[in-house]
Amino acid sequence: MEDYEEELHGVEDDFHSQFAAELEVLAELEGMPFLPPSGVPPPVAAGPRPTFEEAIAGGDAATCPWPPASRGSSRCGARKRPEEATSPNKEPLPHTPKVKRPKLEAVKRLNFGPEMEDLQFPESPPRDITPPLSPEVPKELWGSGPLDVAADAGLTQALHGTQNPVLRRPPVLEDYINVTSTGGDRAFLVLHPDSTGTGVQSPLLDVRWRRPGRLDLLGISFASLKDQVDSERRQRLVQEAQQLSDILHSLRSEEEEAQGMRDPMEEPADGQDTSQHCLWVDEFAPQRYTELLSDDFTNRCLLKWLKLWDLVVFGHERPSRKPRPNVEPARIGKEATASGKWKSQEQVVEEMLEAELDPNGRPRQKVALLCGPPGLGKTTLAHVIARHAGYCVVEMNASDDRSPEAFRTRIEAATQMESVLGTSGKPNCLVIDEIDGAPTAAINVLLSILNRKGPQEAEPGGPAVPLGGGRRRRTEGTLLTRPIICICNDQFTPSLRQLKQQAFLLHFPPTLPSRLVQRLQEISLQQGMQSDPGALAALCEKADNDIRACINTLQFLHRRGQWELSVRDVQATHVGFKDQRKGLFFVWQEVFQLPRAQRRLGGQDPNLLAHTLLPGNREMGSLTLASQSFYHILRVTTSAGEHEKVVQGLFDNFLRLRLRDSSLGSVCMALDWLAFDDLLEQAAHHGQSFQLLHYLSFLPAAFHVLFASSHVPRIAFPSTQQEAQNRMSQIRNLIQTLVSGIAPATRSWATPQALILDTLCLVLDILTPKLRPVSTQLYSTREKQQLSSLVGTMLAYSLTYRQERTPDGQYLYRLEPNVEEVCHFPELPARKPLTYQAKQLIAREIEVEKMRRAEALAHARVGPQVDQGAPGPEGLFSGSRDKEVRQPALRNHEQRLEHIMKKAALEEQPERDFFGRVVVRRAAAPSTETEAPEKDAVEWHMGTAVGRSEVWFRFNEGVSNAVRRGVYIRDLL
Amino acid sequence: MVQIVISSAGAEGLAEWVLMELQGEIEARYSTGLAGNLLGDLHYTTEGIPVLIVGHHILYGKIIHLEKPFAVLIKHTPGEQDCDELGHDPGTTRYLVTALIKDKILFKTRPKPIITNVPKKV
Repeated sequence: MEDYEEELHGVEDDFHSQFAAELEVLAELEGMPFLPPSGVPPPVAAGPRPTFEEAIAGGDAATCPWPPASRGSSRCGARKRPEEATSPNKEPLPHTPKVKRPKLEAVKRLNFGPEMEDLQFPESPPRDITPPLSPEVPKELWGSGPLDVAADAGLTQALHGTQNPVLRRPPVLEDYINVTSTGGDRAFLVLHPDSTGTGVQSPLLDVRWRRPGRLDLLGISFASLKDQVDSERRQRLVQEAQQLSDILHSLRSEEEEAQGMRDPMEEPADGQDTSQHCLWVDEFAPQRYTELLSDDFTNRCLLKWLKLWDLVVFGHERPSRKPRPNVEPARIGKEATASGKWKSQEQVVEEMLEAELDPNGRPRQKVALLCGPPGLGKTTLAHVIARHAGYCVVEMNASDDRSPEAFRTRIEAATQMESVLGTSGKPNCLVIDEIDGAPTAAINVLLSILNRKGPQEAEPGGPAVPLGGGRRRRTEGTLLTRPIICICNDQFTPSLRQLKQQAFLLHFPPTLPSRLVQRLQEISLQQGMQSDPGALAALCEKADNDIRACINTLQFLHRRGQWELSVRDVQATHVGFKDQRKGLFFVWQEVFQLPRAQRRLGGQDPNLLAHTLLPGNREMGSLTLASQSFYHILRVTTSAGEHEKVVQGLFDNFLRLRLRDSSLGSVCMALDWLAFDDLLEQAAHHGQSFQLLHYLSFLPAAFHVLFASSHVPRIAFPSTQQEAQNRMSQIRNLIQTLVSGIAPATRSWATPQALILDTLCLVLDILTPKLRPVSTQLYSTREKQQLSSLVGTMLAYSLTYRQERTPDGQYLYRLEPNVEEVCHFPELPARKPLTYQAKQLIAREIEVEKMRRAEALAHARVGPQVDQGAPGPEGLFSGSRDKEVRQPALRNHEQRLEHIMKKAALEEQPERDFFGRVVVRRAAAPSTETEAPEKDAVEWHMGTAVGRSEVWFRFNEGVSNAVRRGVYIRDLL
Repeated sequence: MVQIVISSAGAEGLAEWVLMELQGEIEARYSTGLAGNLLGDLHYTTEGIPVLIVGHHILYGKIIHLEKPFAVLIKHTPGEQDCDELGHDPGTTRYLVTALIKDKILFKTRPKPIITNVPKKV
């Protein structure tokens, strides 16, 4: 203890300056009424507080009341045992103060628990004399009284003789047989475990099977204890559980304190009891600041940030504010020079904390954002520190309240109201968990709340007034006056981008394995599990220093009935893996890179690996390095999901690695695996036989075995699949457009596949004839024929040349659809392309030919109608029969009119067979006034009112020289 | 200096004529000429728009007030026998105003045909 004190004194000045905030809070905590005088005061609290010896003496005193009584009550001999047992009781005492944590201290004391018990219950005491002291404890103790002998094998033999095995009351905690006498008296015989019969203490076996935990105070197996206790307390626990769900945290802290007050004998039994119903993670969660496992710097930063709120929330100035400036430079200098372990980033964070408060007396950053992988204790840290700083923690989970409205109401409720019940009027501190799960809208709500300007913002005396006024103000204004701590796993979530700029960002470094191992050891000790540090370190390593996973695994193993933890257990078990998705690159790297030789796993020749999966030697050691990494890869790849992407990445990258065997056997194997994978996937997804998907995940493992090396692989993101797919769809589309455009006669012979494989290549050759670069007028007939056949071919395949402008401003003609792409095989010699002029010429010819055909088609459609009595095309060439009629009929506007008139006339003809024809004639030649009968007819038609007039009116239009004339394409071309 | 004497006759006032302007020509149907033929009918709609029907054409026009009205004069030369009855100086030529023209009707739009027999189906 003196050493310890000296140590403390040695570092005192530095210590005070460094941990000013914590010390202050600790002092506060001590002053607070709700914190009980725990058995052990916080170790850092030096000075007038009780020392460890005093504390332990006090603890002993607290536990004292009954041991003397029981001692006094023990009538029987065996007096030598108290001395024997007390010596170990006294002995470890001087060592205990060394231990810093109160919990560990309790554990240490448990170490000699059995002896103490032996001391108190050397035999079964008479029940009549000593009544039960407390409702639960003595019962167990009484019940177990006769059995205590098991603890000390040497003495049990002697003790058995003195005991009366016949009991009047049924033993509570034991198996028993009841015997009823003829007189109706019932006696109970306790069934003893056989451990006493062996006489020999085989240390390992016995400990493992008979006395699972060395710390067992009762000396009987926990299993039977549990059953008994369970049946007794089930009712009570159900009720408790309901209450627990509501006020879990407050209750838990109280329980902890209460447990500290209770005698150490009871604790393991009680802990055992609760451990069945609550997780160890919760049970052993740190309750104090000093118990936190996470990085000290992080803890301190968060605490300091939270203390910045004191001015607004509690209304008192920080007392350490004034001395700070002169301490600060010395400290920073010392840190920088002393060890260099303080990074510059950390200094930045500290400076951020030193920054001035804003006009409202709040810290600059209204929100603290804790980010880090799961299981490091972020939530625990937030809770502990908030409670430590005197807040009432209000937790909300952002992934639960997803709608912005719910989010807003929750936040406002937490920051502006105060719970009336139970929490003794402490201000709230909002802890928003998993904020990366919240939608952007919700984050915006949070931001708007943060950036609200209070009504007093404008007042100049803002920072001076808030003492005492803060509380009143909060009600009127909507200014945020409560700290908010956000917790996220992934700080790079897009929705958090805005928040990050305003938040006090704290990265959570991974837990130190040594600290984690220490904590695990404490837990396992407390739970009666035997574990060596090596096994625990292996566990930590396996769980990636995930505290939660470690403790859960430990509990899992414990529940399965393992009382001893070995490295082998840790490696064989399948729980405890962190269920976290790793990035694709991480997966690929894991596959292609051998794990660094860990000292615990023992270095094996990595070259052995390559042959484990090659045919021939498939046997694998149960826990060799190879199988370890095999399972590791299996796990990583299955947890990564996205199997296809993973496989694509492997496929793209495996040939870039340095291959070890020159025979390329591993490459062949790998290709086989890939083919197998393809087959499996096809079968699984086409045939819905999804059970085959199980086998998919073995491919990466096989790749690992085949290709893993200690080099750091350079891995590129797989793109070949994407490229190939794009190209395929592009070409498919091309072919489709081509086929749809092909003339039906040609199309009947051209299936897409035949086109690609057989036709197109040759067609393209056909399409590049030699053309003289002169005008088509100058072509010989043979050349003309060649050209026309070329155009015909291109039209048959609906190909044409289209002018395009390249990005650099040049024009060029390109085939459309561009089937050159389709049959551009890299092996074939490049085709000599046509010149620009030739392509232009061909394109023009194609256009002209298209027009010709379209017109011919139109004529073919119209022709038959016109032929009925009106001039057909042949009328022009050959028709001399009735030219005088035809000539005017061909006039443009009359063509249509003629049809109409003819129709009308045809309709009228049955009635007026004669006049119908006259009307046609008149319309055709309106200005001929030759015959009287015509006039009569007209007059007859016009009616008498207007028709008889002798006078005509001829309107003089404006001058128009425009000529309308029908022109045929065939006339132009 | 020649003095032109313009006098108006009649105590009951001058007649008012109307000028009619057509864009187009009036043609006779037969070669006999226009003389003696009825030109057509002039109507006014209820809105006062003049409507002229010539042959099988119907023309819509508008009345334009002339800024400078015309007077219709009849020239009397002394040599004629009817000059004496007025008892004026026979030596000079006189003009007698017979009518005034203050408005004209202008038909300048394209006439619309009046079709009596519309084909039943077109």
